[in-house]
Amino acid sequence: MGNHIYIAIPIMALLAIVESSILSRFPIGGTVPQLMFLVALVWGMERGLEEGLVWAFIAGLFADLYSLAPMGISSLAFMAGVAGPLLLRQVLPPRRLLVAMLLAALGTIIYLTVYALGLRVFGFGISFGGLAELWPLIVLHTVLIVPLYLMTSALLRASQPRRVEF
Amino acid sequence: MNPGRTQQRIRWVTLAVLIGSAVLLTILDSTGTLDSVFGFLRDPMSFVSDWTSSQTDVVADVMTGPRNLEAALEEISRLETENETLRKENEELLEAAGENQILRELFNRAADTPEYRRITADVIGQDTNPALQSIIINKGYDHGVRVGMPVEAARGLVGQVYRVTNNASQVALLTETASAIPVRLGSTRATGILRGAGRGALPTIDWIDLQYDVQVGELVTTSGLGGKFPENLVIGRVIEVERNEAELFQRAVVQPAVDFNNVEIVFVVTEFNTVNTEIFNEAP
Repeated sequence: MGNHIYIAIPIMALLAIVESSILSRFPIGGTVPQLMFLVALVWGMERGLEEGLVWAFIAGLFADLYSLAPMGISSLAFMAGVAGPLLLRQVLPPRRLLVAMLLAALGTIIYLTVYALGLRVFGFGISFGGLAELWPLIVLHTVLIVPLYLMTSALLRASQPRRVEF
Repeated sequence: MNPGRTQQRIRWVTLAVLIGSAVLLTILDSTGTLDSVFGFLRDPMSFVSDWTSSQTDVVADVMTGPRNLEAALEEISRLETENETLRKENEELLEAAGENQILRELFNRAADTPEYRRITADVIGQDTNPALQSIIINKGYDHGVRVGMPVEAARGLVGQVYRVTNNASQVALLTETASAIPVRLGSTRATGILRGAGRGALPTIDWIDLQYDVQVGELVTTSGLGGKFPENLVIGRVIEVERNEAELFQRAVVQPAVDFNNVEIVFVVTEFNTVNTEIFNEAP
């Protein structure tokens, strides 16, 4: 475990507040993007599966602080939504942005499916018909991953120490 | 030791620890064990959300307001006309209310309206999970809010308090699948249970006796049976009736009166008169 956890906690706390209090006022296509999940996925794409999973776990905890769902269900769903696409990435062609978009769509589908299954276990009868209504979320995530991915890549490149040769 | 295998092992251990922690948290939270622990986290975050939400209101008002002088002048002219119409309507309504008041007093002096005690609260957030429907309000345990209390808006019932921290509460909307509310229909007086159908579906009233001829457009209110909700809180109108003579009961689909996406202020009903069911305990 590196220092990245100390970055993940404040970032996810901030995103949870933004998502619950601000973005919910301005839905796009009737839905609000799950920024915490997208950031965890992008982090995993940049820094590897282990870090992506830790970020997804933390993201899920903050998501559940503002939700009816029992604490931990979102963590499970986010981790599944991050792990699935990242494991698949190894067999995909190295086209960064297109792959990122594909992984976002796939990750969102996995996350929603695991989430619905988890909720059903705990008595929230989410129907698969109701889940089908969330297709704009998949489209939204597929689009939003591009700026998030580019921004995170740029930030990580800028923050890494450069080799200086004399 | 092979570094590749070590990395694989770390990966699987990380995954196992995280999944185990998430499952453990879910089980503990669903039994209510973690309420006080996460209350410490929810309270400061609710405070920040409250502030953020009020700032967002300002921004939203600016964004939806008139964008230039010409539009503003047109808006003023339109509002003046609307104001005149509303003033006239208001006078008519006041007159009707006065008449209604007199008729009520003459016709049924015995009828007493239950005196509810209410707390006003601002909506400061919504559920972060797209599949669930709940709102977060800025009043909690310290203000007298308790789990299970009904929550209403100006147009009707919103839902029920699901979770409470010191300064904020989470309200499960009546459209949520976990919601079950005893209701009564306006004209037929039939009773049933309103169940939420989750996202993308309207709530339905189950267990309506077939003897009632339920009509589309009937008003749906709380029946007060069960004691968890007061009587006569408006919920919505029937928009579809599913009747099959081969079944014992019929169902009705309800359009809620409240637009849950635009609720900004709600009332938590903290005290109300419950329906007297003692009569059922008496010996025949």
